[in-house]
Amino acid sequence: MTENPFHDNLRIEPTPGPTTLVIFGATGDLARRKLLPAIYNLGRAQRLPARFSVIGVARSPMDDDAFRKQFIDSLREFADVDAEHDEVAASLAKRLFYHAGAPDDAQAFERLRARLQEMDAIEGILYYLAIPPGVYGQVIEHLGAAELSQPRGRGWRRVIIEKPFGTDLNSARELNALVHRHFTEDQVFRIDHYLGKENVQNLMVFRFGNGMFEPIWNRRYIDHVQITAAETVGVERRASYYEGAGALRDMVQNHLMQLLALVAMEPPIAFTAESVRDRKMDVLLSMQPLLEDGPAADGQPNVVRAQYAAGWVAGSEVPGYREEPGVDPHSTTETFVALRVHLDSWRWAGVPFYIRTGKRLPKRTTEIAIQFRRPPLQIFKRTSPSSIAPNLLIVNVQPDEGISVRFEAKLPGTRMQLAPVMMNFRYGTAFGGQVPEAYETLLLDAMLGDPTLFARHDFVEASWALITPVHEAWRREKPAAVPTYEAGEWGPREADALMACDGRRWRTL
Amino acid sequence: MEDVVSEVLEQRGKDVSFSEIESVLARGTQTTGATGHARALTVTVVAIGPDERAREALPPLQQLCDGCAVRAILVTQAPTSSSPKLVGNVVVIGGLPDRYVDNALAALRLSSLPTLVWWRGGSADMLASLAKLADRVVLDADPAPAVWQRALELVEQSAFSDLRWTRLTRWRALVAQFVDVPEVRDAIASFNQLRVEGADHASCSLLAAWVRTALHWKDAATIQILETTRDAAIESINLGGDRTELALRLASSRRCVEASASVDGRTLMSRVVSLGNESLTGLLSEELRIRSRDDAFEAALRGAVRHYEHVSTEHRAP
Repeated sequence: MTENPFHDNLRIEPTPGPTTLVIFGATGDLARRKLLPAIYNLGRAQRLPARFSVIGVARSPMDDDAFRKQFIDSLREFADVDAEHDEVAASLAKRLFYHAGAPDDAQAFERLRARLQEMDAIEGILYYLAIPPGVYGQVIEHLGAAELSQPRGRGWRRVIIEKPFGTDLNSARELNALVHRHFTEDQVFRIDHYLGKENVQNLMVFRFGNGMFEPIWNRRYIDHVQITAAETVGVERRASYYEGAGALRDMVQNHLMQLLALVAMEPPIAFTAESVRDRKMDVLLSMQPLLEDGPAADGQPNVVRAQYAAGWVAGSEVPGYREEPGVDPHSTTETFVALRVHLDSWRWAGVPFYIRTGKRLPKRTTEIAIQFRRPPLQIFKRTSPSSIAPNLLIVNVQPDEGISVRFEAKLPGTRMQLAPVMMNFRYGTAFGGQVPEAYETLLLDAMLGDPTLFARHDFVEASWALITPVHEAWRREKPAAVPTYEAGEWGPREADALMACDGRRWRTL
Repeated sequence: MEDVVSEVLEQRGKDVSFSEIESVLARGTQTTGATGHARALTVTVVAIGPDERAREALPPLQQLCDGCAVRAILVTQAPTSSSPKLVGNVVVIGGLPDRYVDNALAALRLSSLPTLVWWRGGSADMLASLAKLADRVVLDADPAPAVWQRALELVEQSAFSDLRWTRLTRWRALVAQFVDVPEVRDAIASFNQLRVEGADHASCSLLAAWVRTALHWKDAATIQILETTRDAAIESINLGGDRTELALRLASSRRCVEASASVDGRTLMSRVVSLGNESLTGLLSEELRIRSRDDAFEAALRGAVRHYEHVSTEHRAP
């Protein structure tokens, strides 16, 4: 008997086979804030395999018990779990181990291999690179050299690579080439945590699981699309990373390109990883370059960048970007970017996609707003003189995942007066139970070997191919060319002008 | 608790007519500011049972309304009032003759959305009439063999489940996850012994029937059910053969299961897993997420009914 007969119609499914999760960067922020709590939550929901263990790898000398204590502390601090008195946490902690080693220490990888053999981890091994991008290459090389990238006999080896995957087109290509020297593409899981959010996955269900939306999901009915990812926080403790990244690399190249692709993609022939990822790839291939060779037809650039100056956010006074600790006082790094994107496709020709993201904006929210065309004839103009608000379909990605539809309704009374109303669906209150965190979904998918919600190598490169020319153009500009916006405002005037020249404006959020 | 519920049902509930219920619920949503609840409803949940059992269902229904977007209806067979009441967001109907209950529910359930009936007991005819109306019937009544027998006659009309089965979800997943381990999977052809210990014979029978069906056991296997007087429906499960054994036991906290797999007496692996939210609200929430027929349950139900009295049963003192 080779199959597991108990899996038929099991309510808790699917569950991965035996897995050892090796976290590089196990003492870092990502591991403590997200990965260790995600492991606990998966354990609590009984989604982990019976044979499961974690090996944390980092430079600091530490023993297994200290790493277990870090696990317990992380749960208390970031998952609000009384982990000292929690049986599941205690049981999981026993299966956590620590391995000290630096990314450039070849011997550490030899010792890691010996440790894995000692632990009898012969089945599935999932490597998670929760480390600075600068050392991805070293770790991948050493995993390959220590013969840890390919299974011997049965089992599997996979690697999750955090963003940013490269810093431009060339570096992304080089990294892909290096990774592919040791791992085949089906072993590589480039993580973008936005894709693990319920409502991002639901976008595909919404579009392709309903008969009523797809027929109107095109240039005939949609006026334009706005994608907003707004943060209230500043650069926080990430100045050293953010100075070299900026909003375009940090948010647009990965998260927002993925959202754009999900909104604009053609229907896949099946819900399979390759089919879905092929159709998303088509979107990037159809995108017009963000920088045109000559001046844009309307004289307005398609990309606007800016940096936050001192201001007030949520009632607190905050410093400007250049005054933040760790930031160069002459920095030209953009903390806000707005884009106008056109797709050369049958479905979307002439429909602009406006994207904006920034730090120190008034409100933390990520959403996709699809604005429909107005009715062709304003038959209520005489009785309801205020112009009719266009229909909107809003996909809330965070913090309150859900979908809202805005439509016009008659105000009660004897007059035929119209007013917009919003109909809301919220994940948090519709189905009950906990909505899983994105990292839980994605960790589980990687253990199961399902890459649907991960970025493929060609998507990453195509995305960089669109973004890199913008960075190169900015590098040629003078530093004074970076506009500023007051912290707590919705970006600079130039961002408003980007839409105003099309006769449109950003949504009020 | 019972008195409080009784008071709430009979004194504090607000009398409304059938035709008013929609608008009263909508007004209630406006005044309480409950945003998502009435705007994106997903399912109608109908709890029905004899007086005491119906009263016990009110608090979980109210919690369900607070936690997810359901329309909850409680049908009590005691004549509490001549008209429906709204107790919080729960519509309470009492005193209807059995033959009119389906008619009343047809008027009150959400259009074009699934209806789940939480069956806490009543006449066989009423179960049949509700099975026609419901997309899913979740049994929660005694004596189990009689209710199960009736359910098996109705499975063509509606999807069925049982809260006893819901309580087994985590146990079943644990068994399945152990069998994912190659050494255990290689040994399952030799599995021929199952011992289930617990206070609820019906739950133990369902679990045993599930194992028997999955492993295609005939009469050669030994199944033992040990009835205890402790509080847990399932106290422990031991499954295995000559060399390999899976041992699952309720932890002392009663909220987790300690589980281990061993070969030749050597422990291969052990783990502790949570039993999840075993409150009535938690169990119902799980049932609300199941939208298709539960074939595993139906197969286990048939097995449990067939073998209910024929497995070796012992009684064990606490």
